Amino acid sequence: MSVLRITPNGSQQAGESLQPLLAALRGQRASLAQVPINRLLALCDDFSRRLLRDDRTRGLEGIAFLSAWLGSRNLQQFLEFNLNGDLRYLDGFVLCGNRYLAARPQGLVAMWLPGNVPTLPIFALVPTLLAKNVCLVKVASADAPGLDRLLAVLEESEAGGLCGRDLLATTAVVWFDYHDRRLNEEMSLAADAKVIWGGEAAVRAIIALPRQEHCVEIVFGPKYSIGVISRGRAQAAEGLDILIADFVRDVAAFEQRTCSSPQTIFLERNQRYPLQQVGQMFAQCLARLPQKLALDAYTTVQILNARAQWALDDSREVIASTDGANWTVCMDRQVSLKEAVQSRTVFLTEVQSWQEVIGLLSPRVQTVGMAFADPAEAIAFAEAATGAGVARCVRPGLMNNYESPWDGKLLVSQLVRWVTLKP
Amino acid sequence: MSAEQQVEELIRGPQYARAQTDKEALLAPLLCGLCRDVALRCPPYARFLERLGRDAASWRTMLDIPPLPAAMFKRFLLSAVPPEQVVRQLQSSATTGQQPSRIVVDKTTAFRQSRALVSILKEHIGPQRRPLLVLDAPQSVAEGESLTARGAAVRGLQNFAAETVFAMQPSASGDLEPDWGQVQDFQARHAQRPVLVFGFTFVVWTRLVVEAQRRGLRFALPGAILLHSGGWKRLTAEAVSKQEFTRQAALVLGCRPEAILDFYGMVEQVGTVFVDCEAGNKHAPAFADVLLRRPGSLEPAQIGESGLIEVLSALPTSFPGQAILTEDEGLLVGVDDCLCGRKGRYFRFLRRVEQTEPRGCGDTFGQGNKREAHL
Repeated sequence: MSVLRITPNGSQQAGESLQPLLAALRGQRASLAQVPINRLLALCDDFSRRLLRDDRTRGLEGIAFLSAWLGSRNLQQFLEFNLNGDLRYLDGFVLCGNRYLAARPQGLVAMWLPGNVPTLPIFALVPTLLAKNVCLVKVASADAPGLDRLLAVLEESEAGGLCGRDLLATTAVVWFDYHDRRLNEEMSLAADAKVIWGGEAAVRAIIALPRQEHCVEIVFGPKYSIGVISRGRAQAAEGLDILIADFVRDVAAFEQRTCSSPQTIFLERNQRYPLQQVGQMFAQCLARLPQKLALDAYTTVQILNARAQWALDDSREVIASTDGANWTVCMDRQVSLKEAVQSRTVFLTEVQSWQEVIGLLSPRVQTVGMAFADPAEAIAFAEAATGAGVARCVRPGLMNNYESPWDGKLLVSQLVRWVTLKP
Repeated sequence: MSAEQQVEELIRGPQYARAQTDKEALLAPLLCGLCRDVALRCPPYARFLERLGRDAASWRTMLDIPPLPAAMFKRFLLSAVPPEQVVRQLQSSATTGQQPSRIVVDKTTAFRQSRALVSILKEHIGPQRRPLLVLDAPQSVAEGESLTARGAAVRGLQNFAAETVFAMQPSASGDLEPDWGQVQDFQARHAQRPVLVFGFTFVVWTRLVVEAQRRGLRFALPGAILLHSGGWKRLTAEAVSKQEFTRQAALVLGCRPEAILDFYGMVEQVGTVFVDCEAGNKHAPAFADVLLRRPGSLEPAQIGESGLIEVLSALPTSFPGQAILTEDEGLLVGVDDCLCGRKGRYFRFLRRVEQTEPRGCGDTFGQGNKREAHL
């Protein structure tokens, strides 16, 4: 079985072994470590501007947010937050109290990525490169949509004498059959740090691979996300329809395939908006979304099964688009996390109190889109939810905004080795 | 003519003689009426139609009828008759940890299913009774209130059987073991006659073909027709194509490859089966039809396109089986112009629907291994 390398010029055969690529990457470690962090940030800034201007990339799903995220101010704040408030640690020793601290690269980072978010490779790669690691990235699909175009624009970026081409030399993006144990082992054994994004089966398989004793494993595993609308917020003067529009934006992004997409939304029973009416409001909002791209047979079947199950059950209600499997709102009062169907399928569950939702939460639940009128109540909810394992409690509309920390981790902080000097 | 009489006539008459347009003109209003009638007697189905079906009174074509996903029969016991009218319950063969489909059958439905199967098969294998070799164990058709799809198929085929011989027996581990003595005895008595052989596709392959080849056994049944169904997913996983299956089965049985007939059917539509014609296509019988719906839009697929298979049937009275959406994909090959001469829409089975799109780090259950009681 062979390796495909994804480059700015498309996919190329790269032989039967990863060793030549790994050797080339190791050869770049020293030079990457010498690049000042500000120059790397400037390059990313140029990249961010080009993404929106370039015809090859400006139509890609999620590109506006990616571009904003790559802006130097945002990345600077991102790094400072991850690095004890001072990104100079990446360039050398910095006095910190009565000693010096530096953040050295881990070395060679091996990364396994899923295929559900087209821009994820860049979100994953950039922090790794900013931490001055060389990187081997395995993507889930041989034709990862748009990735070659993103790499092409990066290759053409430049700032302060640093070219994107030079940066890309410190990275190899590859694909090989995930069944190929030999190649997966090669990748794992070469790594000083492994970053694993994926579902349960993928995570378990990759964790089980042999690795070096010092190798750090960073896992972004299977997650589920929800929404919560409090009684106070539902009954507030400020329109519920605006809130619902925000939730629908979170639902629509990446067709609900991400770990941060809301699948079940819980509504506290209230005097003003019965469940059915809120369902109708969601339906109206979903109906205004642009038509979905072609839908696969499996997801179509899952959508139709969910619709039918809710329609047959006299304790449940469903509102469904009449133009095929476009969107669906399934309503009930059974307090549970519904199996995610994705693709604009919203499960709306009425509860007596948000307290009932806390019992459902665990570290598997990543993000709660929370809508509370009372700040004190919001804090109380967030305390309880995060105590149960939730990583993020954010306003609806922001659920898919990639940020740091993510899944409870400061990624860059784990992609470096903190070293001390006390002369 | 009442709806019942219409259905009876469709079952009795020629199965593949009507052009599609004429068939739809006859079948569509019949099916629409049958759905409305079942809805009056099955409250969950009435809810389903009300919530997802638009105005039932406005239905004009088969496309207007909202198809009921086959998976719902795993989740709900959907009955349009009171318990005392149920003569048996059919069950699919469930895999471990999965709930099987359950179909309630009243006397009328049971009778129609049996007659329908006879009518269909007569047009493929002729009307005469012949010895039947069942590649299964007798326990598959044991008397009782519950019957699997395999058992129902065997019972239906016994209408063609001059005698029935079971070629398998259950082993101590619960698997099926070939009874070679029975097969050899069957051959000895019937080698020069037309005979019928039936089995579940995966059982035929693993328990007859592979086991016979391992022992160097070959049989001589030149007059045999092998009818088989189901289990293609497992064979595909073992990289056994339909052509290879046909070739090897014909070798082992000593019959013509053309006499190896695959048929498509399901427990949710017992009696409505789609048998391979001489051109390798599947045709809908007179009392039923098939639609292929494009994923996403659910619009009808055009000739040459693939789609989700929906099976429509006028047979059932005791459960809402008039329009069932399967989890299978098929290819719409043509309409009215099959080389075999049979009329109507015809298709080929492609595959069971499987997950191919990446789900990535989105956890479908939110609770890891704890499966939420949902689908």
